[in-house]
This record gives sequence, structure tokens and C-alpha cells, in this order.
Amino acid sequence: MLNPEATLRSLLDVGLDHYLVLSALLFVIGMVGVLIRKNIIVMLMGVELMLNAVNLTFVAFAHFAGNANGLVMTFFVMVIAAAEAGVGLAIAVAVFKRFKAVNIEFFENLKG
Amino acid sequence: MGSDIFEIGVNFAKMAAVFLLMVQIVPMLVWVERRGSAYIQNRFGPNRIGPLGLMQLLADAVKFLTKEEFVPESSRRFIYYAAPVIALIPAVLAFGSIPLSSPVEVEAFQAWGRSWGPYVFPFQAFEMGIGIVFVLGISSLGAYSLLMAGWGSHNKYSLLGALRASAQMISYELGLGLALVGILLVYNTFSFSEIINAQTGALKFSWWGQPQTVAWLPNWGIFFQPLGALLYFIAVFAETNRLPFDLPEAEGELVAGYHTEYGGFKMNMFYIGEYGHMLVASALMAVFYFGGYQIPFLSGAELKSILGQFGYSPTIVSLLAALIMHLALLLKILLFLWIFIWVRWTLPRFRYDQLMDLGWKTLLPWALANTVITAVVVYVMRVAWR
Amino acid sequence: MDVSALMFYFFAFLIVAMAVATVATPHPIYSALYLAGTMVLLAFVFIGLGAQFIGGVQLVVYAGAVMVLFVMVLMLFDLQREVQKVTAHFGQLLLKLGGASAIAGTLVGAITMSSPMVLTRPGSPGESAPVISTLDLSRMLFTEYLLAFEVLGLLLLVVAIGVVSVARMKGGTHAQS
Repeated sequence: MLNPEATLRSLLDVGLDHYLVLSALLFVIGMVGVLIRKNIIVMLMGVELMLNAVNLTFVAFAHFAGNANGLVMTFFVMVIAAAEAGVGLAIAVAVFKRFKAVNIEFFENLKG
Repeated sequence: MGSDIFEIGVNFAKMAAVFLLMVQIVPMLVWVERRGSAYIQNRFGPNRIGPLGLMQLLADAVKFLTKEEFVPESSRRFIYYAAPVIALIPAVLAFGSIPLSSPVEVEAFQAWGRSWGPYVFPFQAFEMGIGIVFVLGISSLGAYSLLMAGWGSHNKYSLLGALRASAQMISYELGLGLALVGILLVYNTFSFSEIINAQTGALKFSWWGQPQTVAWLPNWGIFFQPLGALLYFIAVFAETNRLPFDLPEAEGELVAGYHTEYGGFKMNMFYIGEYGHMLVASALMAVFYFGGYQIPFLSGAELKSILGQFGYSPTIVSLLAALIMHLALLLKILLFLWIFIWVRWTLPRFRYDQLMDLGWKTLLPWALANTVITAVVVYVMRVAWR
Repeated sequence: MDVSALMFYFFAFLIVAMAVATVATPHPIYSALYLAGTMVLLAFVFIGLGAQFIGGVQLVVYAGAVMVLFVMVLMLFDLQREVQKVTAHFGQLLLKLGGASAIAGTLVGAITMSSPMVLTRPGSPGESAPVISTLDLSRMLFTEYLLAFEVLGLLLLVVAIGVVSVARMKGGTHAQS
């Protein structure tokens, strides 16, 4: 951090760290989405963003270690995330049909 | 992209040429459709402008460009404008990854004081090792342009048409993908070039481990996967929203479906996108099931040796062979495009529930059965004897 | 500066911009479209990282099916009564954003300041990583991870049945009905 030339060189030499930082940023952005948004479906989209960040981590490790286990894990995470998105959307649709609202503050009290 | 300036320049020119090829086939296709449909319906088509009506498309283009551009007042502007553009992008990207001819080999030559090494230029805009999966993925992005067009128009009928069209598209993608899994099982590879190279010469298959040859049939994919070819062809009609599956964009059903609120050049871009998808579908049909750019019974090496007898340099021989095989592919593509047009003006349209029934209850089980049968047959006839 | 570094920064900038737009746009459909764009760009990054099959699957599954489902569901909802889009209380908002930034800072700091990781892989350290072919991936899926693969298929079947039965409940999607 104190040596500008070394910092510049490490910035330009794209390695595993860069992909991990990108993935961490995406994860935190997804987390922020889940925290501050009030619409159920947008919160689901934040979760999808977090899962994609995790996928990026796995693929980056698989590439830089030459190991195919990371890709297998990515495959599984992708399938499970797609299934979970389907279930979440089905629940959101059912909730909307019953209560006519998708704003999560409407559901903050557990009394039905 | 390439190691030196010659290669980079040729690659750029190739990308532009493939894009222009697709965009230029579309007006010809519209002419074929109008004259062909007129011939089928026993009437004249456009025959006043230019010889045989060939300039009709030019006149239509001028008309489209000079029409008043209207935008619905309460539409969502950005999405409304972006939808026609996004209709065109998947077709172009998918067409760019299909090999249109055999690779051109340029041997080392001397120019401008340095020697340029031997190159091999694949005859496609860019090369992907995972050809089939990439094309499937990119063409499934076409559903977004429908949804954006329907929603951006702020119109109930457009939205309904768009939802129907995209639901139809993603339903038939399943059948399409499964029909292509049969091809993957038979040829063991994702890349288009290898599938095409495996379809040379006369029909060769292994019968209980013994290789057999049928000398009077070409080694095409359709003989290995007849059911798969039929399923693929039907699914691709639904993917491109072409009759008999064009309920979402039919006139008189939902006004004009998702492109109700589009006029002038924006609607033209939708049509270019639709014909572009038709072109990609025909090219894929030719590549998977009809040998791609190979001339039947004449492999690329034999063609090059025939041409080499005229005494040309190897570069010119390779270029001429590539051009001849490209013409062969274009002939096959034109045949399938004619079949698309022919079916459009022959069959009546499906109702929406009939359409979805066909996709989920007929096409999907048959595609699954095709996959299972192909796997069993490939194992018993080929793999078990290794 | 070589081409791959340029491509990485180009894609990384676009991905982060679209992800922030996903979270910050008030209207949910624009969020969904930005998220679809993020996933397409991520697919290209995967292809650039040599995981070509995974990039293709990302395009087919995520960008081509899951996000289309999101967009279709959002278009069916009548969202006129959607007034509260973000956490109302400004203090809470600040706390949440501050906490998230702290986590981000910790993660990024941990990644950049950790010692260079020694990744064991076959071959000399100088050469580029071998491209993992789809054959290796599928061989692993069908031998080492076969149980997980089959359980995944079962999971998908259960999810398909569950989704159809949950979404078939009575009721309209209009806010006024």
C-alpha cells in the first residue's frame, strides 16, 4: 500500500485475488439488497446475486488450482439455486394471491 | 484475436462479413416468402418493382425508414427502445459461432519486408469449444426481447402476447435441448467442427461392434437420429414463433401480440430478428443432421486434391474449397428456409392450449424417449465392444 | 498490460455496476433485467476463466430460465401499491449500509493482505492452468459425486411438483380483486 509501483503491478497482474475481491463485492452487494429492500422478490434477487458470487469464487479456484472439484460444486450450486428461486417465486405468488401485497413489512407480525 | 496485425485484421473482417451475411439474407428471405407464398396461394406476389419484384424490399425499407416514428405516451421509454435491439443480438451471436465452411489455411508468405507465418482461419466469426451449449444459451436469451417489448408498450394486449410468446419459447427449449442430447450422445463432442467432420463420406456405423458401411448413403446425422431430427425441427418452429406456432404474434388474435405498439423501423428490426433466428435454426439443422458444409461423398481433402491439380498455390486451393463448401451449406440452408416458408403457408395455426400441450405432453416425453433409446443403442452397438 | 487484464477489469466494472443497479433501482422489473445482465456477463467471465461448460450452463439455466421466470412473475403482479421500497428509517439504513461496508472491507482486506496462497496443482508453477475439459467434469459427476447427482435429480423432481402445487392456489393477481 505504501509502494505505488508495486501496487500498480499487483493491480495489473490479474490473479486469483482479483476474482476473489470481485466475488466478495458481489456477495456484499447481494447482502445489502436483502437487507435494505422490502419487496420479497427483490430480496430473492439479492439471494441469487449472493449465490452467483459464490459460483464465481468456486470457478476462480477451480481455474487457478487446475482442480475440477470446484466446477462440480458450481454445477450443484447452480442447480440448487435455480430450484430455490422457483420455490421462492411460487411462495411469493401464493402470498400475493392471498394478501395482495409483496411488501415484507406487511408480514412483519406473525398474526395471520 | 490473433498474434499479429494480419490475423487481427482478417478476424475483424470475418466478423463483419458474417454479420453482413446474416443481415443480407433477410431481405432475400422476405422476397422468397412473399413470392413463394403467392405461388402457393395461386396469385402473383410483388412483381412490379424491379425484375421479378426483387426491388420490392428496397422500396419497403425506404418506406419503413420514412414512416413516422411514434412512441406510446405512457410507455417505459428505455425498455421500449431496447427491445428491438435485443431481438437481434442473440441471432447474430448464435450465427457467428456456427462454422460456415472448412477452415482456410493460409501458408507463410512474404510481404512488406517480413514473413507472415502460416495461419488457419476458421470460417466463422468466433470459435467456441462448447458450440451447442453456447447456441442454446444465447437463443434462450431471445425471450427477453419479447418480454421487454410487451411490457415496455404499456398495453394489456402486448403484455399478454409477450407472456404467451415467452412461455411458449421456454417450453419448447426443453424439447430442443433434449433432441440435441441425442446428437451429443452419437458424436461425443460439443464443438460444431468435430460434428461436421464426423459426417464425411459414406454411411458408417457399427453393428454389434462390427463396422458396417452403406456405400450409397452419405454419413449424415439424420440417419443416426431420425426421431431427434423431427423433434428438433418441430421445436425450432416454436422457438422462432413461426406458424403453426405463431399465436403470440398473429394478426387478429391479440391485435399483433407483443409488437402491437411498434411501427416503422423498430418493427422491421423485430422481423430481422425473427428471420435471423430462422436462419440460425436452419443452419443448425444442416450442421447437425445434414452434414453441414460437407458435400456428400466428397470429403474436404479430396476436394482440395482435385482443385490442387489445377496448379494453384495451397492458399488459393484452400480458399476455393472453403467457398465451394460454403455454397453447399448455403444450398442446404436455403432448402430448410424454403421448408419453413412452405409450412407457414400450408398449415393452420395451433390454439394456445394445444400448443402448450404439444410442447409438454408430446414433445418432451418423445425427446426423453429418444435420449434413452439413443443411449442404449450407442452403448450396445458401439461402446460395449471396446 | 495484456488483453486478459483489460477484459477482466472491463467485465468486473460492468458486473459491479449492474449489481449495484439491481439493488438500487426502485422498480422491481428493472432490477430483474439488470440482474439478468449481470448473469450474462458472469457467464462470459466463466468462459474467460476456462470453465466453458459452466459458462454455457449459466447462460442456459440462470440467464435463460431463472431470470425469465423472475421477469414473467413480476410482469404478472400488479405492483401499484408498492410504496415502501427501501428501509424507511434513515438510521436503520445507515446502520445496515455501514455494517455491510464493514464486512466488505474485512473480506477484501483479508483477501489482499493474506500471504500468496500456495495452490498445489500438477505442472510447474509458471505455466498457465490446464483447461478443465467437460469430460473430466462429467467423469467426476458420474463417479465421485454420483450420489449427490442423483439426489439433485430427486430434489428437482420434488421442487417441480411443489412449485406447481403451491402456485395453483386460488386468487387473482390484481391488487383490487
